[in-house]
This record gives sequence, C-alpha cells and structure tokens, in this order.
Amino acid sequence: MVTAIRPSRGYRVFQAVNAVVLTVVVVVTLFPFVNIVARSFSGEREIRTGQVSVFPRGFNVTTYQHVMSDTMFWTNYRNTVVYTVVATAISLVLTTCYAYVLSKRQLKGRGLLVGIAVFTMFFNGGLIPNYVLISALGMRNTLWAIVLPNAVSVFNLLVMKAFFESLPVELEEAAAVDGTTTYGTLWRIVLPLSKAVLATMLLFYAVSFWNSWFAGFLYMDRQELFPVTVYLRNLIAGATAGSDQTTSSDTTLQIAAGIQAVTIVLTTLPILLVYPFIQRYFVSGVMLGAVKG
Amino acid sequence: MVQLSRRQLLATAAATAAVSLAGCDGGDGEADAGDLDGNKAGAMDGFKVGDQFRATEPLTFSIMMLSNPNYPFKANWSFLAELTKRTNVSFEATAVPGSDYNQKRSVVVSAGDAPMIIPKTYHPDEEAFIAGGAILPVSDYAHLMPHYSDKVKRWNLRANLDTFSQQDGKYYLLPGLHEKPWLDYSLAMRTDILEKHSLPVPATWDEVTTTLRALRKAYPDRYPFSDRWSTPPQPGANNLIGILGTAHGTHAGWAYNSTTWDGAAGKFVLSGAMDQYRQMLRYLATLVSEKLLDPESFTQTDDNARQKFAAGKSFVISTNAQTLVSENRKDIAKIPGATVAKIPVPIGPMGATVPSESLLENGIMISKKARESKNFVAMMQFIDWLWYSDAGLMFSKWGIEGDTYTGNVEDGSFKLDPRVKWGGLNPSAPKDLQVDYGFFNGVFAYGGSTKMLNSQFSEEEKAFQAEMNKRTTREVPPPHPLSPEEREQAALWESTLKDHVFQQTLRFALGQRPLSEWDAYVAELRTKNMDQYVDLVNKAYQRFQEKK
Repeated sequence: MVTAIRPSRGYRVFQAVNAVVLTVVVVVTLFPFVNIVARSFSGEREIRTGQVSVFPRGFNVTTYQHVMSDTMFWTNYRNTVVYTVVATAISLVLTTCYAYVLSKRQLKGRGLLVGIAVFTMFFNGGLIPNYVLISALGMRNTLWAIVLPNAVSVFNLLVMKAFFESLPVELEEAAAVDGTTTYGTLWRIVLPLSKAVLATMLLFYAVSFWNSWFAGFLYMDRQELFPVTVYLRNLIAGATAGSDQTTSSDTTLQIAAGIQAVTIVLTTLPILLVYPFIQRYFVSGVMLGAVKG
Repeated sequence: MVQLSRRQLLATAAATAAVSLAGCDGGDGEADAGDLDGNKAGAMDGFKVGDQFRATEPLTFSIMMLSNPNYPFKANWSFLAELTKRTNVSFEATAVPGSDYNQKRSVVVSAGDAPMIIPKTYHPDEEAFIAGGAILPVSDYAHLMPHYSDKVKRWNLRANLDTFSQQDGKYYLLPGLHEKPWLDYSLAMRTDILEKHSLPVPATWDEVTTTLRALRKAYPDRYPFSDRWSTPPQPGANNLIGILGTAHGTHAGWAYNSTTWDGAAGKFVLSGAMDQYRQMLRYLATLVSEKLLDPESFTQTDDNARQKFAAGKSFVISTNAQTLVSENRKDIAKIPGATVAKIPVPIGPMGATVPSESLLENGIMISKKARESKNFVAMMQFIDWLWYSDAGLMFSKWGIEGDTYTGNVEDGSFKLDPRVKWGGLNPSAPKDLQVDYGFFNGVFAYGGSTKMLNSQFSEEEKAFQAEMNKRTTREVPPPHPLSPEEREQAALWESTLKDHVFQQTLRFALGQRPLSEWDAYVAELRTKNMDQYVDLVNKAYQRFQEKK
C-alpha cells in the first residue's frame, strides 16, 4: 500500500489558522459592501432602527426610482463617463511620455524635469489663483477644466518612471541596433512590456477621475455639465439636512434613509466592474514599480 | 484679472479712506452713493411703494443660483418666465449645488468673477468679502429701494440692521426682513399622558419641572424627558439648552453667542460666565439629578431619542413644526391613543419675551461690478420689488393668482390651487409648487409680514405662533463691529473659550462637576483670555457709539 506523505502536524495547524484568518479578512472586507447594498434596498424604518445587516429588510426601491427617474441624473452620469474616459486617455499618454523621458539616465536636465514635477507635490497655486487661471484660459464650462489641470499625477509619474528604469536597457539597445526610432522603441518594445504598469495607471487615473467632484463643481456653472458625483453629493446634502420645512412626505423620509447607500452603490458599481478585468495586471503592476521606487 | 482685482482693492481702500476722512453719518449714506446718472438705463422714474417694477427695456442680470436638491434649478420654470413677463428682467444664472454653495461663492467672489446678485448669504459670512472690496456697501443705496426702506421703518428694524454694520458704519448685506420674530423650536409632549394624569400643559420652566416630577412618580422606571439634537460642537441637547438659555437671558446650546449684552451694566459679557448661565446649569443639573432628564440626552443620536419616544419610554422631546408632523406624530402612531403636541416655548426668568435676533434673515450681497453697470439703478429697483414688496414676495412664494393659488393672505382667504402640492398641502396633486413651478424657492421666498408667514402654516402651528406673538420682543443688543485684524484675534480667543464653555456645560449639567466649582470655572475662562476678548468687544462697541 502506498501511503501518501502526510503533511506534518505543524503544517496542518498552519493551514487551518490560515484558512480561518483569511476567511475573517474576507468577511471583514466584504461585509461593509454587502451591508451597503442591503441598506440600499431596505425600508426606512428598518434602516433607521439598524435592522439591516446582510439581507435587505422591508424591500424598497423608492430611492433608486427617485434618483434614476431624474433625467439630470443620467445627463450627469454620461458626463462622468465622458470626463473619465477622455481624462484617463490624456493622462495616460502624458504620464507615459513624461515618465519614459525621465527614465533615461543620459538625458540632460533630467534632474530639473523631475524637480519641476516633484515641486508641485509640495506647493501649488492655491484655489483662487487656479480658478482665475482656468477662467482666464476660457476653460470654464468645458471638458478641459476637468481634464487638463490634473492630467499628470506626480505620484503615478514616479511609479511609472521607476518601472521604466527597471526594464533592461539591452532590449532598447538591441532595438536601436535593428534601426527603430525612439518612438518606435517606446511603442513596439517598451509599451508591450509595460502592460502591467499601464493597467495600474489606467485604474488609478480612472478611479480618481470617476470619484472626483471638486473640479466639476468649481468650474461648471450649469447643471447639465456637472459630473454625477456633484449631483449625488447635492442630493445627499439635501436629503440628510432635511430641514427644508416644506418637505415631509413618506417618500422624502425613505429617500433620506437610503440615499447614502444607493449613492454608493450607483457610483461604485461601474468602477467595480472594471476591476476583475485588469486585476491580474494590477497586482503585478503595483509590485513592479515598488521595488525600485 | 489679478491686475483688475488689485486695482479694485486700491479703489476701495481709497474710498474707505475718503469716507473715514469725511466722517460718517451712520445712516443710509445716500451721500456715499456717488453719481448715479450714468447707471439709470432701464430704471423706472419715481419708483415708489406699491408700484409694480417693470424695466423700461429688456434687461438681464447675472445671479448666483443655489440649486436646492429637493427642487433642482430648472431654466424653464414658470417662475422665471412669469418674472420676465412682469418685470422685463431675465436671469443669467450660475447654478451652484446647495451642498457646497458657500465654497463656490467664496471662490467666485474672491476671484472677482462673481455674478451681480449673490443671494442666500447668512450674516456674518459677508464680512469675509468686505476687505477685498468685492461687494458693495448696500446701505449706501437703500434710497433706491422704497419697499425695503418702508419695511425697515414700519417694522422698526433699524437697530437690527445696525448689528450688521461694519466699522465704516455701513452694512454689506441686504437681509430678509420679518415683521415679528419667528420661533419654531420648542418641546413636544405626549398630551394623552398629560391628560391621563390630569397635568396641565406647562407654561414655565418651573412648571416643566413639576410636570416631569409628576411623570417620574407615575412611571418610576423611566426618564420622562429624553432629548435629541446633540451634534457637537455644542454640549448636546442643543435645542433644550438653547431655548433654556434664551429663557434665562443668556446664549447657550444652538443659540450660543460668545457675548451677551448686559443692559444694566451697559457692556458686553461672556455668555458662558454669566450668572444667568449658572442658573441655567443649575436647572439642568436638577433635572438630571432627579432623574427627570435622561443623561443620554446630551450624547445619544437623534434616532435613539426618537426610538425611546416611539416606544413610550419617554414623553418629552425637542421638536419644531416640521418634525412634529413628519417624525413625532408618526413615531407614536403605533401606541394606541397617543397624541403629541408642540407646547409654547416655556417661560423663564426673562418673562414672556422673545429675542429679536430672528427678525433678520439671510440676504443678498451685490457685486461691486454691478455698480458700474448702466442698469445698476434698475437692478436695485428690481431687487426691491422681488424681495421686499408684498406683491413680489407673494409672487415668489405662492406664484400666480388664479393659477397656483386663489385669494390673498391679508384677509386669510388664501388657498393653494388643488392641482398644486406643497409641503403637506394637496399631497396627491400632480404638480409640485417648488419642483415644477420654481415658486417657494429658498433663494427668493423668505421674510415678509406675519400674515404672509402664517399662510404657510397649519392651524396647529398658527395657534402656536399666535401664542408666541403675544410675547414682547426684547431690545436688540447694540452693534460692536470689529476691524478685520481684531476679528482674527477675536476668533482665536473665541474658539478656545467656546470649547471650554461647551465642555464644562456638559460636565455641570450631568453633575460630573458640582456647581460649587463655578468660580474655579470662571477663573479657568480668565486664563483663556476671557477678559481680553470681552474688552475687545466692548471697545468696539464704544468706538461705534462715539462715531454715532
């Protein structure tokens, strides 16, 4: 009879502890989100009295109906999608180009270029000068007010620079010997090897633009130009302040109770759906930049 | 752009210097209004009280438009169309989400990019913009506004307006005007329980104690009073402490104001160090030590307090007209035979009086740029009509006669059209007065006569208001305008003092600190610059008096 090698006692204990700890971690991380989803579908009384945990109680979709029946919600949602896509695309191009240049050690004035970028991490013009600048450039009430001022995130830039520096320089030398131009090298050699960092940057940028509300709030003067975050922020403020002496129906109470949960679900859902597709790049991407950063 | 605002700044500095050199008359400085001949395009000649404003040519004014989440701004509201029809004026609106209105206002005004009309500003928010020279001293132009001046005169609001004055003797905000103080917050009591034990509705704070004692005797297992509205930074049970402080002649809780005018001594004193404040704390400490007031009142969430009230574990809770209907009454619906009512604010040592602070509402700032517009006079007349004339207020509040309402508020025949819903009225009507028409918008419809205000109340609330209106209005405390530098220093002192007052208020009320330590507490306030702070305020007061 062949007996399989039995794992040692210590190893089995380790495995058991591991399983328990990881399960706890999973529950702890998942629970808040499940709870939010459950709350978003629950009745006012159940939410107020704290009865909702994993499953919705007193099933109710009034708040969803209220939010989604407003055409302005969809207009603003579309704006968010447009702003996020355009801004992410521009940011990726600009950050990649900047980071690639900075990764070249032979570049003259490299220190200055890095310094200029890093400087903005510690100092900025301030709110009002920024506003005056954007106004004077005629960018208010346009997409560019949201896209351009935040196009290059210095943190992302440095992560990317570190990644490019970690690529073996021989690859590029070989490409040069074969006669590619600088841009050809970037496009055909470097970028295909950088999918991990690109996916990471994509995610970082997309999430930050998706969640951002301040630029939209500040530079847009018309409601049809607001991103959905501004719309929902206003909705939450109105529903939770509730001091407007004129509104006191059952519907408004229901909305006040569920609005935060509904808002979280509506805004995080799309970006959550993106995660599984770039997850595998994402994990390695963050690690890669970190080693040399 | 930056150049421009710098130049504006210089101009303002020069103007201010000129004004102080010339001496100040403290009145509605018509003399400071400057030459308005070039700014009269579109204005009406001889515009007076009772006139319907109509611009002589089509005009457009830019305005900052707070978009209320409950009725988001729509450019196609019939309010706007009808307004243009009546006044020949249209708005160029910058829509700002209500959630962050103040922040955007602050950036836009500071950047010198503000619309001409900047409504929905609560005093003293306007003070932040004065030094930059971005907003107009509106008191210089009050003579262009007959309805406004008339109401200030008839309703005796001069002294109230003085409290808005700055060092130059001018004020920079056109506030909403109320004929009578409007008190909304009081206590809700379970009237069925009171009847069951043959207890009268308490009229004074002492009677409140007696009632609570009787309830405690009848229900020894529970606290008869468990309160809500305990959001920091105030000490907790903020409404209770607020109305209690007012009844004692000081400022506390929600109504906290660092200084209180001591009429007898002719000077300002720190509210938290007043003897009246101590009396108020003694009252609270008694309620807590006799187990009449739930000690959790100061810390629990509103939901917890509501649950106790809903379960019949408590019989008294703070309320206002809206909460009474939308929360208290609904919460107790499950208890058979339970009834609840808002009682008239109990009377304390100050007698049957009400503070005068609530006579002025939030208001409008006018951008400095507007003064250069050739339509400036027309704009002031327009503002005067829409925000201050009875016809304008009626229009912005209830809409179009025969369409959204019938009758009038003067003889009480006012009635909302059955096809229109508002608040609790006509709940099944197809259209909403605010959402669909744009009337009763917080940006335009506020203030006005008592009759106008009453038109929006239920019978129950009207009875409450009638009771409150029987009380006399207290004298307005004199103004004490600080200079910008003084204001900064005062704010530093004030915030540490306030923190200490709030913390210790809670400890005294809960009995964690005996009131015998009151003197030690006042000494602590002294070490936190109480005297310097109060001196600063009193000096400002004297300076203002001398100028006058």
